[in-house]
Amino acid sequence: MIQVAHLSKSYGPGRRALTDISFEIARGEVVFVSGPSGAGKSTLLKLLFRQEEPSEGQIWIDGRNVTRLASRGVAELRRRIGLVFQEFRLLAHLNALDNVALAAQVAGASRRASRTKAYQLLRELGLKERYDARPLALSGGEQQRVAIARALINDPALILADEPTGNVDDEAAEEIMKLLLRMRERGATIVIATHDRRMIERYGTRVLRLEQGALIRDLARAAEP
Amino acid sequence: MKIFFLAGLVLRQVGASLRHLFWTHALTAATTAIALFVFGAFLLFQTNLEYLVRGWGEELQVSAYLNRDVAEERVGALLQRIEAMPEVARARYISHAQARGDFQAALGARSGLLDGLPPDALPASVEIALKPAARSAESAARLAARLKQDRDIAEVEYPQQWAENLDVAALIVGWAKWVFGGILFLAVFFVVRSTVRLALFARQDEVEILQLVGASQTLIEAPFVIEGMIQGLAGAALAIAALWGFYWWLQDQIAVFGAWLAPLGGIRFLPVERIGLLAAIGWLLGSAGSLFSLRGFLRTWHASSARL
Repeated sequence: MIQVAHLSKSYGPGRRALTDISFEIARGEVVFVSGPSGAGKSTLLKLLFRQEEPSEGQIWIDGRNVTRLASRGVAELRRRIGLVFQEFRLLAHLNALDNVALAAQVAGASRRASRTKAYQLLRELGLKERYDARPLALSGGEQQRVAIARALINDPALILADEPTGNVDDEAAEEIMKLLLRMRERGATIVIATHDRRMIERYGTRVLRLEQGALIRDLARAAEP
Repeated sequence: MKIFFLAGLVLRQVGASLRHLFWTHALTAATTAIALFVFGAFLLFQTNLEYLVRGWGEELQVSAYLNRDVAEERVGALLQRIEAMPEVARARYISHAQARGDFQAALGARSGLLDGLPPDALPASVEIALKPAARSAESAARLAARLKQDRDIAEVEYPQQWAENLDVAALIVGWAKWVFGGILFLAVFFVVRSTVRLALFARQDEVEILQLVGASQTLIEAPFVIEGMIQGLAGAALAIAALWGFYWWLQDQIAVFGAWLAPLGGIRFLPVERIGLLAAIGWLLGSAGSLFSLRGFLRTWHASSARL
């Protein structure tokens, strides 16, 4: 699914965010990217969904070299990836339903079809009663669930989550992590960047450990029952 | 089908934005209106200056004095020859008697001075009005030279200094149109662009989120460009309404401007094509201002997000 070869990212002399990283992720795998703040976790994810371009190295997603995509290709790539962020990134003037439906409409779905699907997803994620609420009226956990629904609406083969539990309380964090991992059942490949050790210990089947921009460990272990 | 769904999305985004950010759009339209009002006021001034110069040009006439032996029956043919010349708008024959009458009228109480003179003392002439395109010193000189070659014409006169001054005035007005108009246009463009850019910062999240969910560049830009067009046209409409009010205020103040406006018979409002020009500039500024600001903003955003 994902192949990363000799990936480096530098923001100028002496500002190296990632250094010569290589790994592969198979389809349907759940991978945690861990490491302290500034280790390069977010940079790695940004490179995967092409918010940034690498200084060196290549990334293939589904056999396609994403480091060479033009802007149209980048938009197309992002429509096939579900993105979840720590800050939720929801539009304040749209309600939960329309925030979710927007991602499908951008991909060319009709308004009616996208809203129907958005409603189904919100219901699945326990937000049936809150579909009409604007983001500011939702709790952190609810906002993150809306963001997850948005990430799922185009049935992505790949989900990238950057500190998805960073802005929610423990209870909501647990719930969000379970929701994300449930997406594996849909056949999605999931990459979660987090520095939350408890989550990694509990759910991490494979962990890529980054420190100071270098991949120091690629640890796979049996999943918890 | 997909294209219709995407067009629908764009229009819904525009509608939502106009409702949700009404005051931001109103502020941008008002700024555009102020900038276009300044530009429109210049156009109003320049339009009236053109009318003024055109009025002066209408006064430019060439007089051709006829030989004394030209019989009345040859005058018709002469007038035809003159009117066939490309510079000539119309030609009017002034007989000996008419010339004497006009001169007497001009002398008024002292018209008795002409009593001792024979009836044909003043020569018959043809007064020639020039076409608008030929109202220049060069055209008048060319016409005079050609008229002098006619066997029935003894002498040709035209106000050479006046024609040269008219040329200079027309040249100044013509250049002022491009120089001041160009400077004002650029100023208006930058004012509108800066206002749009400020408004864009309020919508930073919206642009970022659209990018992150995979919206194409066209899909991101289209609502902003349409909103820019609407703002620009609204700004132009406001500016034209304000100019109309300004025009009527000027009409009331006409006495202040003195006698130099007399040839105009008062000032005139912008002709339809210039009103159309203002609306088109508003439309263009709004859409181009939005597009360029958005692209600049996206470049800045890419650069800043890359540093995070």
